[in-house]
Amino acid sequence: MPTSSSPTELFERQLSRLGEEHFLVLLWAATGEYKQVKYNITNLFDDLKHGGITRTKQTAVAIVESLRILCFIDVRDERNRKNIYITEFGAKALEKLIKTGRYVKKGSAFLEEVKS
Amino acid sequence: MRTIGIGGAGSKIAVKLDAQSVVVNISEVELSKIPTSGEKIQASLRDGSGVFQGARMDPQIGLEAYGSVSRQLSNLVRGAMVIAATGGGTGNGITAGILKELAGRAEKIAVEEKTVFALVLPYAKMEPDEFVINTSDFLNGPVAAAIDSGNTGNIFMFSNRCKFEKQLAEDKYNQMIVNSLRDFFAIPAKNAQLKLLEEHIDQADFALYLSKPYFNHFTSFNYNPDNDFGKQLSARWNPLLLPPEQAIEALFLLEVPAGNDGTCFYNILKYFNDQDVKPLYSVVENPNLKNPRVSVSLLYSRKPAEEVQDLNRESEEHAQTKVRRTIDQYVELEPLQVNLDNEAAKVKSDGQDDVIAMLKRINKL
Repeated sequence: MPTSSSPTELFERQLSRLGEEHFLVLLWAATGEYKQVKYNITNLFDDLKHGGITRTKQTAVAIVESLRILCFIDVRDERNRKNIYITEFGAKALEKLIKTGRYVKKGSAFLEEVKS
Repeated sequence: MRTIGIGGAGSKIAVKLDAQSVVVNISEVELSKIPTSGEKIQASLRDGSGVFQGARMDPQIGLEAYGSVSRQLSNLVRGAMVIAATGGGTGNGITAGILKELAGRAEKIAVEEKTVFALVLPYAKMEPDEFVINTSDFLNGPVAAAIDSGNTGNIFMFSNRCKFEKQLAEDKYNQMIVNSLRDFFAIPAKNAQLKLLEEHIDQADFALYLSKPYFNHFTSFNYNPDNDFGKQLSARWNPLLLPPEQAIEALFLLEVPAGNDGTCFYNILKYFNDQDVKPLYSVVENPNLKNPRVSVSLLYSRKPAEEVQDLNRESEEHAQTKVRRTIDQYVELEPLQVNLDNEAAKVKSDGQDDVIAMLKRINKL
């Protein structure tokens, strides 16, 4: 496997490994922040189930954890809830994914109930 | 013979022919307008909507309403003449009910109990397509079934063609139909009243002729014995009726002026003999005439589907004209230049901007 020390190269590689589930977490986290609504792991799990992405909470937690390790999201413990926030790196990743049109946007049932 | 008028158009003709006609309608309003001293029968719908609205040009509504009067009508139509127009809802639907009931009868119907039908067909070229469709369904369905069963009497196929082509008022046209029918139905009475020169058509002969399940085309004209009878006949088809096919049976009454020996009927017999038809006929002396006059009726068989084809042909010509006019009125459009790559890029970018704008609004980009 070719190696590279370039941060851009690393970012591109990280990006190439993101699946639809990661894309949706980034999108919904950003939307929650935009609507000024706390979006937590339980909300995410419900949305992933609704979207047919996964049926287990462990998987939802694993998706969140991988994005957190890549510094694409922050997960903060607030009033006994683990709320998700998109980071600037995450925003760049989401921008790239949106521009390439690799994945199609899906609505979050939880966030759609909230008026912007 | 009892006359029964079904629906608005049929009833108007029926009461002109016989002031004591039985008239049938769904609409109370329509029924109240028909001046008859005979029975008025109101067919009703389950939901009662027909009282004011009638059958609304829908034969299915007419057929449903037939159910409310079927028992009464099945007795009344025995030995009667039913007059109806086939384009609308009431005449078509209720008459369809009568024809279906006749077609379904298992027992043989006696000569004097056969029902004769006078149907008025729309002129496909000028009347609404809806009338033509209603008529096509009527001919292909109940009329075909009734003819196949052999349970109807003669069927007179009047057409509105003459009315539209000569631009006649409805009342005048109805009167022409009535006069024409009276002329034909007067044949046995003339035999009874006038001096007989050859043969005889009495009421029983005439009733037997009427009881046959064929289409009947009748006409009458002044006959010139010096000219070919066939040519005169084909030039004088009854313009109110659909033209006939090859005759299966025929009937004619020759009326000659006083002093004429009436032997010119042999020419007519020869014409029919050449057609392999042995007509029922009689020759009478009519002192009121100056020239011989002949009334001829031909019974012919034609599949109702063929009548439908004729109707459709006329209707089709009309439709094609409409299409041609539509094409003539086309609007010239600017040629549309489409670059597929650009269009694909537009689709891809759909919804991109709002996400990026959102990220900028939350200060993450």
